[in-house]
Amino acid sequence: MRIIRSLAALLTLTHLLAAHAGAEPATGLADSAALRATVYGTPPQDIAPLPAVVPLDEIDIALPWARPLPAVLWFDRRLRVWFSAQSKPAPLAILISGTGDDGNTAKLALLRATLYGAGYHVLTLPSPTNPGFIAAASSTGVAGDLMQDSHDLYAAAHEIIAHLPARVRITDVDVLGYSLGGAQAAVLKSIDSVEHRLRIHRAVMINPPVSLFAAMNRLDELFALSVGPGEEGIDRLYRRLYVRLANFYRANDQVRIEDTNLLAAAGAVLRTDADFSAAIALTFRIELTNMFYAGDLYAGTGVVSDPRRPPRPGDSTDEVVRRLLVKPFSEYFDRVFVPYYLAHRPGSTRTSLIAESRLDIIADALRTNPDYYAQTNADDLILDRAELDWLRSTLNGRIAVYDHGGHLGNLGDRQQIADMLDMLAGRWAEAGK
Amino acid sequence: MRVIRLAALPTVASASLLTGGCASHDFSIRSLPAETPAAYNAAAIKEFQAMQALGATPASAASQTTVGPPLTPADVPSMQTYDPWERMNRFTYRFNARFDEAILRPAADQYRRLPGPVRTGIHNFFSNLSEVVSVLNYAAQLRPAPGARGLGRFVINSTLGIGGLLDVATQLHIPGAPTGFGATLARWGMHPGPYFVMPILGPSTLRDGCGFLADFGTDYAINLVNLYRGTAGWVLTPLDGVDVRANVSFRYYSTGSPFEYDTVRFLYVRRTLMEDDALRMWHRSSQGAAQTPAGQ
Repeated sequence: MRIIRSLAALLTLTHLLAAHAGAEPATGLADSAALRATVYGTPPQDIAPLPAVVPLDEIDIALPWARPLPAVLWFDRRLRVWFSAQSKPAPLAILISGTGDDGNTAKLALLRATLYGAGYHVLTLPSPTNPGFIAAASSTGVAGDLMQDSHDLYAAAHEIIAHLPARVRITDVDVLGYSLGGAQAAVLKSIDSVEHRLRIHRAVMINPPVSLFAAMNRLDELFALSVGPGEEGIDRLYRRLYVRLANFYRANDQVRIEDTNLLAAAGAVLRTDADFSAAIALTFRIELTNMFYAGDLYAGTGVVSDPRRPPRPGDSTDEVVRRLLVKPFSEYFDRVFVPYYLAHRPGSTRTSLIAESRLDIIADALRTNPDYYAQTNADDLILDRAELDWLRSTLNGRIAVYDHGGHLGNLGDRQQIADMLDMLAGRWAEAGK
Repeated sequence: MRVIRLAALPTVASASLLTGGCASHDFSIRSLPAETPAAYNAAAIKEFQAMQALGATPASAASQTTVGPPLTPADVPSMQTYDPWERMNRFTYRFNARFDEAILRPAADQYRRLPGPVRTGIHNFFSNLSEVVSVLNYAAQLRPAPGARGLGRFVINSTLGIGGLLDVATQLHIPGAPTGFGATLARWGMHPGPYFVMPILGPSTLRDGCGFLADFGTDYAINLVNLYRGTAGWVLTPLDGVDVRANVSFRYYSTGSPFEYDTVRFLYVRRTLMEDDALRMWHRSSQGAAQTPAGQ
């Protein structure tokens, strides 16, 4: 068993590791501090007070509207979510993960702890772009449409809450999400204002994109600048990373990369702004390969898998991974997403689909309903200046914009958590912020 | 045999499943061990501060010196992994995922409900036993210094540490550095060979899989205080397995990714190759090669 002991740490490390062939300056897309904050997150000493104990249940649920399960996704038959129940009647906070993430990430665990500590029941859900969600809860199998994905998420949340044990007494429902999950949290509330099945009170978006399409393209641009095109770019990145980590091993006389020295190992590998950019872009690209593969499989577009010969669980995926890693989001959008939606949504055009990926689709609600809030950073890499201004003006001041933190790099810090809890309690405006 | 005795795990697991929660075909809710975020973050702060105190900030980690000349991009092995038994390995991986989900992980979850000091005691006990194999392997690797440290740890922890329940040696600043026959084979120049997924135990290579069996056979042959044969083995081996599992946060298919097999294989084999490389460098430098700074 010892041989798998440090795999977990290594898997975590993939989210930190990347490097670039040259020591170029910053990409120009974000500043140094923002890139570093995005990769490293909030330092442990700046984390808000956390409760000593948080109970945790794991829920698996089969959803009736899921599409037939492809054989290669056999492990994703049921949607998996996590729930922490208070022992007394309490409000419920529904938390939605960011792009590609499952429902139990470290970021969700941190938010769960703070919310549980503040007296909420907490339900954490995967992103609709996570392959587990796509297989078990998506009605289309093709992720990326803000409204459709949020409808699936809404239906799933309703089904899960209906199955909760009777001892769980819910007094109110709020919804939050980070990154793409933030935008979906707000859309969830707007859906609820029509359907009234969850009775969602307040929604808090944490570092949301304003345009899904633009944010994804921005990350593709980051990849192109920091990694380079084609398989050569990936190979160069791999070699650079390998050399630095191998030399770290040599310097440390066979240290094992465990949780304890993960930070030092990451520090040995990530040095320049280009390295940090590559780490962020690569993390996103890895999430995209999963979404691309699943979307192609469900839509039967044949870009990755031949629809006449569906892949089987024992098949090698070497070639597929190699091909997918060099494919940007734009290719997923144009070859899988757009053809699927043009066929299934009469009257749609590529331009209309791009427009529908913007938070504009719920702009009226954001503008007029005082129960929508947002938190973001002035240096968040998934927003440009115009989008940040749009958020500010649309939300009429119901937004906290911090000076630094990049994308989610201040998640869990004292100020962010205090503001989030004030927003959820409806006392943020009164606090004079 | 220890591996066969892992079969005793289903009993433990059945009990865990009965006490763990309720399940139906379409909906199941299972109670997990509670999270302890305050303690977790306090530990993270301590580690962060310790790293700062040592001056081992991420930035300074980059400027450490390597043993021997630094590796260059031209020396890096291909991104592709030698996996001639891929179909069988993928089958074993699926089996392992199911076994872990149904048996090993529920058992580990129940185990994690035991009081911390009890679990630490059990963990220390098994770690102490593994020092015997480590010492023998360090001897076979002709590495007297870590071998002597391992022997010292074993003697101290077996006596002052009450049969290994307490890790006194670590408190005396003699940290553990476990090794095995796989590393010994690597030390004498053997390549890892094909990737190989071991039943239940998970990712390995042909060399390290053989190394595991050899270490295991050594334990069995020595049969220290009669722990490896007879009735005691039927209890201790599954307990050892559950203890190890409870200390690993990895979970099969937790991300839902269809490429998990590829990711695990890639990371496992790269880590093995880096460890081998570091071991070879250590060996060369111990034979008198000059140390060179790691200029990039």
